[in-house]
Amino acid sequence: MELLSFCQWLNQTRFSAWLREAPYPFPILIVVHVIAIALGGGMVVMGNLRVLGWAMRGVPVSQMIGQFRACKWAAFAILLISGLLIAASDPLEYYSNIMWWISLTVLALAGVNAAIFRYGIYRSVAAWDDAAVTPPSARRWAGISLVIWIGLIFIGRAIAFF
Amino acid sequence: MILAFAVLQAHAEALPVNPIARWEWVFPVVESLHICGFTVLVGTIVILDLRLLGLRLRQQPISQLARALSPWIWAGLIAQLITGPYLFSGDPFEYVQITAFRVKMLLFLLALIFHFAVMRVATAPWRDAAALGWRRPAALVSLSLWVGVMLAGLWIGNL
Repeated sequence: MELLSFCQWLNQTRFSAWLREAPYPFPILIVVHVIAIALGGGMVVMGNLRVLGWAMRGVPVSQMIGQFRACKWAAFAILLISGLLIAASDPLEYYSNIMWWISLTVLALAGVNAAIFRYGIYRSVAAWDDAAVTPPSARRWAGISLVIWIGLIFIGRAIAFF
Repeated sequence: MILAFAVLQAHAEALPVNPIARWEWVFPVVESLHICGFTVLVGTIVILDLRLLGLRLRQQPISQLARALSPWIWAGLIAQLITGPYLFSGDPFEYVQITAFRVKMLLFLLALIFHFAVMRVATAPWRDAAALGWRRPAALVSLSLWVGVMLAGLWIGNL
């Protein structure tokens, strides 16, 4: 298979061996990866909790979502790059690790879910910006997002366990 | 005392075993909960820090934002105070010898003191109308302390 042969090629490159064998690259990548999920995920979670009406009801939804968008994108980029580099440190191992593929799938679901919100219900945010109780579809999106991000933490940690 | 210890040692095998030492899946599950806890704890504090830096949510009065975030800071903190000691209980004699663990505990203590002393003063209602002034560097200290706690904490597993 194409991807498998790519992983085999990557595995024997000096870059992959360096990530795998040098004392610092791997632990640093893990630390960066988890801190990105804590900071970025924290902002995602607080945005979700605001839409659910469970936190910061006094802050307009558009401020909670809009003002942290750049931070969340930056954290997401760091998360993705550090994650791919972690995978590159031992491509054959991660290729055959079911949890790695589940984690990637759930991350994609998080993206689809965010896009559905952004280009769907969020377009009418002006009508419910200050509302303590937001429309049901907005709360549904926020609830799913919350579950996805909590799930991602467990699945991500489980990659190392499998 | 010595007698009690001798009796305990003699019956050590009969004592209930800590689940974290008994099943290998317990550790990663509790560790995941610990990561969720600091995501909430640090996520909320970062929002407050960004406000105090004047970078985000400038339309919100600081004291109101601090009050709104407070229950979530507590929720995250309580989760950490349960999951953290439980992770520690799996191998206490090992952890106390790890430098990263000691550094983390020191930073955690400093971060808590800073939060409940300096940040409380910084978010007092009567300061809402005042210029940010010294509260900007204070927010940077808060941010550095909490990121430091995470750095040191994550480093424990690498040693």
